[in-house]
Amino acid sequence: MSYTRDMIEGLRIRLGESRPLPPPKVATSIVASPKQIFPKPRVDNGFSEEAAKHTTALVGIGNVGTRYATDVVLQFQAELAVAHEAVAKVLPDDWGKDNGYLSVQSRVENHREFLLRPDLGRRLNESSLDLIKTHTKKNIQIQPILADGLSAVACMGSGLSLLTHFIHGCEAKGLTVGTPIVAKYARVWLSDEIGECVNAKVAVILLGERPGLGTGDGLSAYMVYNPKIGNTDGQRNMISNIHERGMIPEEAAERLVMLAEAMLKQKTSGVDLALEGELGAAAGGGYREPQVREKLVGERS
Amino acid sequence: MNLSSIIRNQRYEFTSLKEVLAKSNGPKSGDDQAGISAESAVERVAARAVLADTLISEVRNHPVIPYGDDELTRIVEDDLHDGSYQAIQHLTLGGFREWLLETTTTGSDIRSISRGLTPEMVAGVTKLMSNMDLMTVSAKAEVVVRANNTLGLAGRLSSRLQPNHPTDDINGILYSLKEGLCYGCGDAVIGVNPATDTAESTAAILRALNSVTSRNSIPTQNCVLSHVTVQMQALDLDCPMDLMFQSLSGTEKGNKAFGISVSLMDEAADKMKKLGSTKGPNQMYFETGQGSELSSAAHHGADQVTLEARCYGFARRYDPFLVNTVVGFIGPEYLEDGQQITRAGLEDHFMGKLLGLPMGCDACFTYHADMSQNELENLKVLLGVAGCTYLMSMPVGDDIMLNYQSTSYHDVSSVRSLTGKKATPEFDAWLSHMDIWEDGKPGGRYGDPSVIR
Repeated sequence: MSYTRDMIEGLRIRLGESRPLPPPKVATSIVASPKQIFPKPRVDNGFSEEAAKHTTALVGIGNVGTRYATDVVLQFQAELAVAHEAVAKVLPDDWGKDNGYLSVQSRVENHREFLLRPDLGRRLNESSLDLIKTHTKKNIQIQPILADGLSAVACMGSGLSLLTHFIHGCEAKGLTVGTPIVAKYARVWLSDEIGECVNAKVAVILLGERPGLGTGDGLSAYMVYNPKIGNTDGQRNMISNIHERGMIPEEAAERLVMLAEAMLKQKTSGVDLALEGELGAAAGGGYREPQVREKLVGERS
Repeated sequence: MNLSSIIRNQRYEFTSLKEVLAKSNGPKSGDDQAGISAESAVERVAARAVLADTLISEVRNHPVIPYGDDELTRIVEDDLHDGSYQAIQHLTLGGFREWLLETTTTGSDIRSISRGLTPEMVAGVTKLMSNMDLMTVSAKAEVVVRANNTLGLAGRLSSRLQPNHPTDDINGILYSLKEGLCYGCGDAVIGVNPATDTAESTAAILRALNSVTSRNSIPTQNCVLSHVTVQMQALDLDCPMDLMFQSLSGTEKGNKAFGISVSLMDEAADKMKKLGSTKGPNQMYFETGQGSELSSAAHHGADQVTLEARCYGFARRYDPFLVNTVVGFIGPEYLEDGQQITRAGLEDHFMGKLLGLPMGCDACFTYHADMSQNELENLKVLLGVAGCTYLMSMPVGDDIMLNYQSTSYHDVSSVRSLTGKKATPEFDAWLSHMDIWEDGKPGGRYGDPSVIR
């Protein structure tokens, strides 16, 4: 007889219960462990290989119950970590200067404020405005700007190569290029204030894109004719997905030079810019090769 | 109308109902950005104390944008159902909250007063409710609609299948589609966000989707989410369009930035009635999301929850088949983190349901918002328990075109299993016939895309 049963029995008697306690249930025997647990075989009917020729979507990945297999979870978590790391990375203060460029900063003072206050990222802080007024070429055709945007990783990655290719491309075409500027905590519209300040015909800002899963290194380029504070997105042209696995910086730079020339010739940009023939392709239309989804965990095949 | 309250012997004064609504709102980075949120936690409660004592009739008389200044205010006021309104106009918002929460108040009771509610009333009561309050009322507010199948019945959880592709590669879209179908997804809609916004490409994608759904006799709806004017042109190309899509904003000015107006949407819905390929009466699909008005400087100093409710006031004019809030898509400058995104998802779902809409939610984040994958999974379960009509679904929740994290095919099955819910009756029967999903769990062909021809 167990101690607990004795106690309950005693309580029942004290409370006036005359019936005896029913006999205890027989404890079920402990389930024997299986000798070995076999992993579920992965079904491979070639679906994922075929699909990969057409899409980077992770399909044909199978399931365990209603959830993912472990290798899928790890690949996913690695991709997510890459994206989050790219967002969290802050452009070092002297990175622009160390690379020989004039460094400026928006009115944003820290990373959190950069994410929460796009309005502040669109305007220069006072000392940067002074610096640009006193240390740059004015009355130029093209003002190039390299900026962190939402990925300092991309800026520090392909950014320099894109910037130098673009500047050389412009110079080769005989365009006058302003003092290259590196901007920290910058949103696209910061190029309006910078361009206006130096009296550029066209302002070009190359900046880190909002990272996607597993891709924190993409750059976008935005261009505007007659840059001035208050310009809208409809007045801009853009090229996205610039990185080594997408559109390579050399090719992007070529396209940007073509667009810049067209803007100078047509004296406009954005929806009003006529994009015919070769120019239409340069502006981003046309076929793109599907990218390959990189395996991030384990050795690369 | 009283606009002051006392907390710990300190009097808090406000100048308008619009200010009270804004300051009652739970913390949102978008309201901070607009400079309209409460300055302290105590001021927030003081504003709620004012709101709780405000009569529904007073809320009707003080829309956040005046009747003369905004066409959405006008359609809400002009179309308000008087009988429904009379039943509730004497209540305070605090009293209305309690009525909604009473066990004796049923889903059909809520439905019966729905057309007497303005968006401002719904937003007001939302600010007085905790997350679990919102879920408790949402779970009983059933809204049933019909297109090619029947959506929104009790015990059902549906999903949009979202097989997007960055270059609209038809084969790429179809691989993602087949994968999703074999996980039991796609009963709310198979909806593609196109990369190219033209009538020809809209029609081409619709035909491709239709070839799969007809060949496999799948009872669902297809939709391509291009701009409404593009879809109107696509209808002239004689393509099978089951649902017509548009993003909505909560102010006339915000809608102008989206390139739409009430008269344009009236015309679009009319055209769809004549040329759409849906069997049932509900043919429109709308998406919304807190913060869109501020992003186009069209917020008129109102808070983003109230403006979101106004989107639903616009949407209900068209008896839509689907409405969903793309809750975390807009970015951290409007909803900063997991707490704000979770709250907004539950708020939007509740407000839509209260206004009589078949409300779904794209529980999602962009990679620069401070929300973890685990928090996002939590939100999907909360929505499932709260009776959300449908979630999104795509391979591992990764939209390879729009670059954000949403709901995966596997997540839809998991939430269905956890909550004991099923797909729409027609789709569920198809899943069972195909041996994909049976008796609340995966069937023999679950996760096997070769089951789709």
